[in-house]
Amino acid sequence: MLLISTSFTGLARGQAKNLGMPDMPTVVLPHPLGGTPLDTVLAKVDKQFDEIIAKLTTPLKPAVAGQGKIITTSEWVEIESADEWGGLQREFMARGWGDGLPLVPPTEARVAAMVRGAGLPAEQVVGVMAPKMGVATVELIAANAVMAGCIPQHMPVLVAAVQALVEPQFNLYGCQATTHCVAPLLIVSGPLAQALNINSGSGCFGPGPWANGVIGRAIRLILINIGGAHPGEIDKATMGHPGKFSYCIAEDETSVAWPSLRVERGFGGETSAVTVVGAEAPHNINDHEATSAGGLITTICGTMAESGQNTVYYTGEPLLVLGPEHAQTIAADGFSKDDMKKAVYDDARIPLTRFSPEIIERRLYRRHDIRYKNRGPGVMVTVAQRWEDVMVIVAGGPGKHSMFVPTFGATRSVTRPILKADGTPWLPAELKGS
Amino acid sequence: MKFCSPEGRTLPLSIGFAARPKSLEGLRIGLLDNTKAPVDKMMQHITKRLREKHPGIEIFSTSKKVASLPAAPEIMQGLRLNCDIVINALGD
Repeated sequence: MLLISTSFTGLARGQAKNLGMPDMPTVVLPHPLGGTPLDTVLAKVDKQFDEIIAKLTTPLKPAVAGQGKIITTSEWVEIESADEWGGLQREFMARGWGDGLPLVPPTEARVAAMVRGAGLPAEQVVGVMAPKMGVATVELIAANAVMAGCIPQHMPVLVAAVQALVEPQFNLYGCQATTHCVAPLLIVSGPLAQALNINSGSGCFGPGPWANGVIGRAIRLILINIGGAHPGEIDKATMGHPGKFSYCIAEDETSVAWPSLRVERGFGGETSAVTVVGAEAPHNINDHEATSAGGLITTICGTMAESGQNTVYYTGEPLLVLGPEHAQTIAADGFSKDDMKKAVYDDARIPLTRFSPEIIERRLYRRHDIRYKNRGPGVMVTVAQRWEDVMVIVAGGPGKHSMFVPTFGATRSVTRPILKADGTPWLPAELKGS
Repeated sequence: MKFCSPEGRTLPLSIGFAARPKSLEGLRIGLLDNTKAPVDKMMQHITKRLREKHPGIEIFSTSKKVASLPAAPEIMQGLRLNCDIVINALGD
C-alpha cells in the first residue's frame, strides 16, 4: 500500500501502473507534508487512519493476467490535417508528444532516413527508459530526433546518449520523476563535436546556428515520449529549468593542456564520447580582475559554496565549466586539472550556520555523521564528498566568465563512446553534410 | 497521412498482488521510510496507532538511504523475510 500526498497521486498511481500494478492500493493525505508542523501532519494521518487499515485488509480484485516483460513496438498513426503545420501541431500536442515548441512531423521518409543515420537496425533496442520503462528502439529514437529537428548525422550521438542515460548509476528513474529541477546535460567530446557543428565556444549554453539545440531537444523528447516524463504528471519538477528544453554543449579540448572529460573516462584519439550529467541550470562566475590561479579560485569557490545544492547532501558531482581564459590563467600557474578539483574540494566550503537546523539534523548529521556531527558550529561543509567527484571541463568563448553547474546529487555522470555497429568509432568523414 | 508515434506502443507489465489479510492482528508489518520529511515521524505515529488497535502485531521499520534512489536489495530482502505486509510512504 502506498501512502502519498495529493500532489503526488498522479506520479504514484502512474508509476504503479507502469510497473504492472495499476490497482495498487493508495491512501492520499492532503499536500503538503514536508515543511509542515508535525501536529498538522499527524492530524492528517489520524484522519485517514481507518482508511489505512481498510486498504491493508480489503481484498483486491484479481490481477489481469499479463506478460512479465515490457514490450514497446513502433506504432504508425494516421492523422489527417489539411493544415500541415497548425492542425498537425495541435494534434501532436493533444497526444502529449511535444515540449511546447513546434515539432517536425515524423513522416515515414524522414524517420527512415534518420534510422539510416544510426547505422543500426530500426528495431534494435538501445535501452529501457524509466519511469515508463519504455523500450528505446532505434526507430523510436529516430522519430523523436525528426520531431526535434535533427539530421541523420546526429543519430550516433543520440544513441550513445541514450545508452548513457539508461546506465543504472545515472538513476534515470529519479531524475525523471523528482521535484528537483534536474535535466541531463550532454557534453560531447572529441572530433565528432566539431564535425557535427556542436558548439564548445561563445554562447555554447545558448542559442545559435549549431547542433546543440536540436540534439539536446531530441533527448528531452525521448525522455518525455519514451521515458514517459510528461511534465507536471510524472516529471514532478517544482520548477524545472530552461535546460529541460535542450541542454547540450561540446567540450573545448584545446585551450589548455588538461585531459578532456572523454580522456579522463578512457576515450581518446579518434573516439568521440558523450557524457550525460544530471544537472541544474548553469550559474555564472564573473571574475574579470584576477590575474592568478589563486585569485580565480577564490572567486570560483566562493560562487560554488552554496548551501541549497543537492551535492552537499548526497554524493554527487558538482560540475565546473571553466571559460578558456580562466582555465588558461589557472593552468599557467602550474595547476593540473586534478589540482583544480582538489582546490574546489578544499576551498568551496559552506559554514554550517548557512543551513537550516532541520537540514543539519536530517541531511548532514544523519548522512555524514562523522564529518560534521559534534564538530561545533564552525565546521565547514564541502560541496562534494571526495575531491575526485568534482568535475571540471573547459568550454565557452573569449571573456572572463566560467559556469558552476550544480547537479542532482542522486546521480552519477556517465560517459559512452560514440561507436558504429561494429564497435569502431564514428569518424568525422563519415558524418559529412551536417 | 501516416506518422511514427514517438512513444511507440507499450504493453506494460502485469503483476499480481499477494492476497490481503482479513485483519492485521498478529501480523508482521513493515514500514518503509523513503527519508522525505516527515515520513519518519509519520511512521512512528502510525506504529503507535497500529499497536493501540492491534497489540499483537510486530513492526519492522526500515529506511531507504536516499529518497531519489531505489531501496537497496538488502532492504527489499529484509522486508520480504520479515513482513506480511508493507506500508511504503512517498511524496513531499
